[in-house]
Amino acid sequence: MKVIINKKIIEVEAHKTILEVARENGLFIPSLCDHSRLEPFGGCRLCIVEIKGRKGYFPSCSTYVEDGLEVRTETPKIKMLRREILELILSEHPHSCLICTEKEHCDEYKSTIRKVGEVTGCVLCSNNSRCELQDVVEALKIKRISFPALYRNFEIRKDDPFFDRNYNLCILCGRCVRICQEVRGASTISFAFRGSRAVVGTVLDRTLLESGCQFCGACVDVCPTGTLAERAVKPESLPDESLRTICPLCSLGCELKVELNEGRILRSVPSEQGAANRGQACVKGRFTLRDVVYSQQRIKRPLIRKKGELEEVDWEEALSYAAEELKKYKGTEIAVISSLQGTNEEIYLFHKFAHEALKTKNLDNSAHFSPLISYCDWIQEKGFSSEVNFKVEDISEAKTIFLIGSDLTVSNPIIGLEVIKAVRNGGNLVIINPQEIRLGRYASFWVKIKPGTDFFLLLSLAKTLIEEGELGDLSRIEGFESLNKSLDKIDVSRVFEITGVSENDLKDISKLLLEEKPPVFIFGLGLTQHPWGEENIAALWNLALLCEAQLIPLGLENNIRGELEIRRHFGTSGLSFNQIIQAARDNSLKALYLAGPFPYLVKEKPEFLVIQDSYSCENMNHADVVLPGATFAESEGTVTNLEGRIQKLNKIIEPQGEAKPDWWIIAHIAQKMGYKSFNYRKPSQILNEVKKAIPAFTDVSYPLLEKGEEIFCNEETEKKSKLIPVEYKLSSSSRKKDFPLLLLVNYNLDYYKSLNLSKEIKGLRKIRDSRWIKINPQDAAELKIEDGEEVEVESSSQRVRGIARIEDTIPHGIIDGSFLWSENPEFSIARFLSEFNPESFSLKMIPVRIRKGYKRKDNK
Amino acid sequence: MKKGLTLEKFEEARAEILRDREIQKTGITICLGTGCHAYKCLEVSQAFKDETERQNLLDVVEVRTTGCHGFCERGPIVVIQPKGIFYQRVQPNDVKEIISKTIKNNEIVDRLLYVDPKTEEKIVYEKEVPFYKKQERIIFGNNGFLDPTDIIDYIALGGYEALSKVLFEMTAEEVISEVKESGLRGRGGAGFITGSKWEICRDVSSDTKYIICNADEGDPGAYMDRSLLEGNPHSVIEGMIIGAYAIGALDGYIYVRKEYPLAVKNVMIALDQARKLGLLGESILGSEFHFDIHVVQGAGAFVSGEETSLMASIEGRRAFPRQRPPFPAQKGLWGKPTNINNVETWANIPYIIKNGAEWYSSIGTRKSKGTKIFSLVGKINNTGLVEVPMGITLREIIYDIGGGIKNNKKYKAVQTGGPSGGCIPAEMLDLPIDFETLTKAGSIMGSGGMIVMDEDTCMVDVARYFLDFTQDESCGKCVPCRMGNLQMVEILTRITEGKGEEGDIERLEDLAKTVKEGSLCGLGQTAPNPVLTSIRYFRDEYEAHIKRKSCPALVCKNLIAYYIEPEKCVGCLLCLKNCPSEAISGERKEVHVIEQDLCIKCGACFDVCPPKVLAVSKLTGKKKEKILKRRK
Repeated sequence: MKVIINKKIIEVEAHKTILEVARENGLFIPSLCDHSRLEPFGGCRLCIVEIKGRKGYFPSCSTYVEDGLEVRTETPKIKMLRREILELILSEHPHSCLICTEKEHCDEYKSTIRKVGEVTGCVLCSNNSRCELQDVVEALKIKRISFPALYRNFEIRKDDPFFDRNYNLCILCGRCVRICQEVRGASTISFAFRGSRAVVGTVLDRTLLESGCQFCGACVDVCPTGTLAERAVKPESLPDESLRTICPLCSLGCELKVELNEGRILRSVPSEQGAANRGQACVKGRFTLRDVVYSQQRIKRPLIRKKGELEEVDWEEALSYAAEELKKYKGTEIAVISSLQGTNEEIYLFHKFAHEALKTKNLDNSAHFSPLISYCDWIQEKGFSSEVNFKVEDISEAKTIFLIGSDLTVSNPIIGLEVIKAVRNGGNLVIINPQEIRLGRYASFWVKIKPGTDFFLLLSLAKTLIEEGELGDLSRIEGFESLNKSLDKIDVSRVFEITGVSENDLKDISKLLLEEKPPVFIFGLGLTQHPWGEENIAALWNLALLCEAQLIPLGLENNIRGELEIRRHFGTSGLSFNQIIQAARDNSLKALYLAGPFPYLVKEKPEFLVIQDSYSCENMNHADVVLPGATFAESEGTVTNLEGRIQKLNKIIEPQGEAKPDWWIIAHIAQKMGYKSFNYRKPSQILNEVKKAIPAFTDVSYPLLEKGEEIFCNEETEKKSKLIPVEYKLSSSSRKKDFPLLLLVNYNLDYYKSLNLSKEIKGLRKIRDSRWIKINPQDAAELKIEDGEEVEVESSSQRVRGIARIEDTIPHGIIDGSFLWSENPEFSIARFLSEFNPESFSLKMIPVRIRKGYKRKDNK
Repeated sequence: MKKGLTLEKFEEARAEILRDREIQKTGITICLGTGCHAYKCLEVSQAFKDETERQNLLDVVEVRTTGCHGFCERGPIVVIQPKGIFYQRVQPNDVKEIISKTIKNNEIVDRLLYVDPKTEEKIVYEKEVPFYKKQERIIFGNNGFLDPTDIIDYIALGGYEALSKVLFEMTAEEVISEVKESGLRGRGGAGFITGSKWEICRDVSSDTKYIICNADEGDPGAYMDRSLLEGNPHSVIEGMIIGAYAIGALDGYIYVRKEYPLAVKNVMIALDQARKLGLLGESILGSEFHFDIHVVQGAGAFVSGEETSLMASIEGRRAFPRQRPPFPAQKGLWGKPTNINNVETWANIPYIIKNGAEWYSSIGTRKSKGTKIFSLVGKINNTGLVEVPMGITLREIIYDIGGGIKNNKKYKAVQTGGPSGGCIPAEMLDLPIDFETLTKAGSIMGSGGMIVMDEDTCMVDVARYFLDFTQDESCGKCVPCRMGNLQMVEILTRITEGKGEEGDIERLEDLAKTVKEGSLCGLGQTAPNPVLTSIRYFRDEYEAHIKRKSCPALVCKNLIAYYIEPEKCVGCLLCLKNCPSEAISGERKEVHVIEQDLCIKCGACFDVCPPKVLAVSKLTGKKKEKILKRRK
C-alpha cells in the first residue's frame, strides 16, 4: 500500500505505525513515550500529525498506516502544539538547565559532583547527555517555558538495590511500567493515583524488593530521563567507548554492550542486536559484571608456595615450576578439573592439555549437573541420536509449552521471557513443579506435583495420550508395542493418590499436547538431577516421541554446549567428576589441576595442587601454584550457548594485574613441558585447530561472527530414536524418621569462577542469598524457626549452616537450598555431595532435618 | 441443553400474569429510589405493609415499592393507583391516615398534597403536577409502576415483547435498520447514530463479539442511569439482548460503579430472574440465539466512563483510555469487536422495536430524535430527573418543569453535560435542546447533567471548580490533559485569588486549545469547555477579577470584604458572638465593626444578621476599596 507523508509518496507495509514509516524514511518526529519493544501508548502526544480528511491530531506512534493515507508531520499548527505540550512536560520536570542560555559554557564552571541528592537541573542529573528529553528540547528549539514550574517534591526512593527512583524527573511516559509488564511479564510497577498526582509506583508503595522485583534493569534502560538511575554509575563520567561481548553467567549467552570510560568498565547493558536476548538481560548481566571484573578477590599475580606460604612470583618462574612438577605425574596419578565458563578454545585446550601433555583421561567438570549433559549422555548410552540445537523463537512461537523441573525466572530468565511471549501469543503453558514459580501466573496448568513423582505422572500422561486415541497410527513409531505393554502396569486411576494431580487435569493437559503444532518440552534439573533422573528422561523421551514434541534440556554454565561437543570428541573414559572428588578424598590422586569449581579439600591434600582461577578461594590454602586467570572481559574467543549458537566473546579491557587468559596459561605450561603443538599466539589459532578437529565447529570464524552472522554448531542430521519400555516401581518414601524433611537442592548459578556473586554483590544478596534455606511457613512455625535466623541442616552424615527464609512457595515437608561451588565450606551444600551415589549427580530428595542456630563441631 | 421457557410457554405465562392483574386492586406505590431512601422511604413502605396487613386489606390493596419517580425534591413519594393520587414528603406516621382516609374512604389527605408555588393551588393527581406536565416520560415513566425486583411487573407492562418480536419475526439486519431509522443517537455524550454503530460492529467478521452497557455514570449530580438501573433494570437488559442479537454477540457486560449498590443489586436480581425464565443464557425463548450478561463493578474513576478505558477496566487493567482508531467496533474488549452503549440508549431500544421507528422519530427535532432524561440540579426549585422530548427549550425545563430558580433569585447559567460541559447564559434560555444546538453553544449533551446556577454564582469560580474536578480525575496518561488542565486550574485559582494578570484570559484560551486538540480521549478534549464557555459568555466577570480585582457575584473570598453598615447595625451582638475569629468588636446597642485583618471571610456574620436588619454586606472591587479606606 501507499501513503503520502509530507507530499512524498511512500510504499509501506501494513501493520506499521506512521511513526515507524516516517523514521524508516528519515523523517524526524519527536516522541518520548514510544519505544520499539513496546506496544503503542500515545501518552506524550509529541508525535502528533495531521491526517487529511480526519478531524483533530493523531499520535503517529499509535496510528497505523492505511492505503492512501495523507499525513503531514510539520504544519505550523502541529509545531506550535508540540512546543506547547513539551513546555507542559517541562513545567513539572526540573528544567532550568535545559533553557539556560549559558549551558554551552557550563562545563567550565560547574562542579563535577553528581552525587547530590536533589536533581535541580541537567548538570546535576546522572542522565545528562543521554537524556531523551534533552534531545527533544534541542530538536524543538525550546528557549523558554511559558508556564510556572509545578514540581512534585517527591522523596527520592533509595531503598532498593542497584538503582534509585527519583519520580520528580518522571514524565510518565510509562515505558518502565510497560516493559515490566509487556516484555518481562513481572508487573512489579504500575501507575498509581490520578490526575496531577499520577505517579509510577508499587503496590502500597512498598520497595521494589518487597514487590517481587527481579532487578533485570529493563525499566532503567528504557527510562528516557534520569528518573531511574543506576546508583553505581551516578558519580561517573559518561562513557567514551562501548563494546559488545557475551555475558558469561548463564547458558543463554546474552549479548551485552559494555560501556567504558578511559578503559574502565562503567556498566553493562543488554544489546538490542543480541540474537538470543534481543535487548533484555537479567540482574546478573545488567548490574553485576563490573563488580565481577573489579572484585577485590581477584588474584593479580602468580603465586608459588615457598616455605609453607604462597609468595608472589613472576610468570616465568610460576610456569617453569608448574611445568617441572607436572611432568612428574602421569595418567591415573593426576586429574584436571576444567571450567565451563571459558571459551570454546579454552575448553578444547584443557582437554588437549590433559590428553597430550598430562597423558591422562581424568578430565571432568561440573557439566554433569546440567540437564543437557544428562540427557545427551542418556541418548548416547541408548544408541539414539537427536538434535539439541534450537532457537529461542521455537519457544515463543510454540502453541504448548511443557515446563518441568525448572524455575526459569531464576535459572534462565531470558528463556522465561520467551515463554511469556508464547503465552501472550495465545500459547498454553503447563508447569510441573512441586514449588510455586513466578511463571505460574502465565500457566494454563500449574501442576503442583508431589516431590519425586514426576516419573509416574509422565507415564500416566503417556498412557492417557495413547488411550485417548488421537495420536494416529502409533505402530509407525518403533518400539510402540513394547512401550504400550510396559504401560499396562500403570494404573492411571492412582495418579491423584500418587502425584496429587487429578485425572481430569491429566486429560486436559494431554489435550494441550495434541494441538496442531507440536509442543515444546523444556526440562531442568528438577527432572534430571534426581534419584530417578534416568527414568524421568526415558519417560519424557517417550512422551515427546508420542506427540512429536521438541525437547529442550536446560543447561547451566555458559559454555556447557561447547563442552558437550568437545568432550564428545575427546571421549570421557577417565574418572568422572564425582570419582575425582572421591579420589582426592581418599588420596589416590597425586596431583590435581583445578581450573574449575571443586568442593573444598578439607584435610586431604594431593602431593601437588595447581589452581588456575581469577579469584582467591579456600582451596588456595592447599595450593602449590596459583595461576591468575583473566576474566571474560579480558579475553577473546568464542562461546557456544544453549541454543547451539556460537557467539564471539570480545576482549573489553586489559587484564587486571598480571592475569592472563586461560588459553595463554595452558599453552605456556604445555610448551614449557616440551609440547610444541601448544605454540599458540592468539586464540584464533586454537579455533582453526578446533574447526579441523571437531565437525560441530567447522563453520565458525571470527570475522563472520563479528559481521553478525548467525552460526550454529553442526549437528548430525541422522535421527535415531525409538520408544522404550519403562518400568515403574512404587518407591518407598525416602523420608526417614529422624530426618523428616526432604532437601531439594538447586544448582546455583550465581558464581563466576571462584567468586560467589551474592556474597560479592550486596544488591544480589538482597534478592537471593546463596545461604538461604527456604522453608514453608507451617514447617517453620512448628520448628519455631524465624525468617532470617541461622539454621543448621543435617543429614545422616553431614551438616551445613544456612539462613532461614520462610516462603509460602515451598511445599510442606520440603526445604530448598542452593548448591554453590564457591560458598564457604560451612555453608556449602556441596558437602552433601558425599551422600550422592558416585555414579549419579542427583541433587534432589535428600532426607534431612533442620534446627535453629548452629553448633560448631569443635564445641562437642 | 434448553432450560428456560420457550416462546409459547412464555406467552402463556404472560397471559396468566395479565389475567391476575385484571382484578383491579388499589395500588400504593412507594418510590424506593436512592433519593427517597435519604428521606426514610424504607420505613414508610414498611409502615404501609404493616398497616395493610393489620387492617386486613391485603385482598384489595397492593403495596408496591418502585424505582425513582424523578421528583426527588419532594420525596418520599407515594402514589395511590389507579387514580394516581400524588402524596409527597410522606413520613411513616402519615401512613395510618392515608390508609384510613384515601384507601378506605376515598378521601384526600390535603396536607400531603403538592402545592404549586406559582398558583399556590394544591394538586391531587400526579399527572397534573407541573413538574410532570411538560415531560414525556417514555423511558422513565414505567419506573413508577413496577417493582424493579420483580420481573412479573415488567412482563405485565409488556416487557420482553420487543425481544420476542425481534427473535421470531425480525432478522438482525431488520433490527439494525429499524434502530437506524428511528434516529436514536447514543445517550452517553457523543451522540453517534446508534443503528450505524451497531451496523459497523455487525459487519466486522469475528468469532467473538461483545456488547457493553456503560453504567459508569460519573458526572457529579447526574443520576439518570442510576435511576434507570435501579428502577427498571429489565428495560436495559431487554435492550441489550436485542442489541446482541442484532450484532451477533454472545456475551454482554454491564459496567456499573460500585458506588451504586442498589443498582448493582437490582441488576443482579433482574439478570437472575431473566435467566430463570430463559430470557438469557442458551437458546433464548427456545430460539437459536444464545446470550448472557455479566456485571462488572467499577472502582469509581471518572475516566472509566470513557469507552476504551472502561474496556481496559473490564479486562482488569488500569482504566487508561487508548488511541482510536481502532474503534471498539473493530478492536474492543479483549481485542474483539465490541459495541458499547450507555444505559439510557439501551433502555430506548425495546420501545423503538415495540412501537416502531416511525413512532419514535416523530418525537424530537430533525436531527435529534426521541426523548432525553436530564438530571436537573442546582439552584432550582424542583430538583429531580426529567424526561423531555428533544427540542424542548431550556426555559421550559428550568421554569415550567423545574419551577424556576430557588429563592426567586435571578438565573445566571446552566451547565449541561457534566463537568466538561459548557455554561449557557440567560440570553440562550430559548435554545431548543438537541445535540447540535448544545455543541454550537459551546457545550455538550453529555449524559444529561443540568446544573442550574443563580446570580450568586461566580463564573470564574465555577470554571475553576469544574476544571479542578476534571484535572483531578484525569487518568494521567496524556500530557495535555494531565498538565494542561493543572496549569489552567493554577491560573484560574490565581484569578479568583485576585492575583490575575493581564493576558491570563488569552493564556487560558491558548491552553484550552492545546488541551482540546492534544488530548487523547474525550475527557481531556472536553475538559476546558466550562472555561471556554464562561470566557465566551461571561468575559466581563473574568475581566472584573483580573483588572478591577472584584468578584461581581461576591463569591471569591480574596476579593470580597464583609462590612457592617453603621447606619443599619442595631448592635445586637449576634454577629459578634458567631464570629469564629473574633474579628468583630462592639458593645450592645453600639455599631459593630469588622476588623478586616482578622476576618477569615467565613460569612457567619452575613448569615446570622437578622433579616429585618441586614446590616452585613459583601463588598468587592472599587466599592470595597473605597469604604475600607474611608473606615481607616
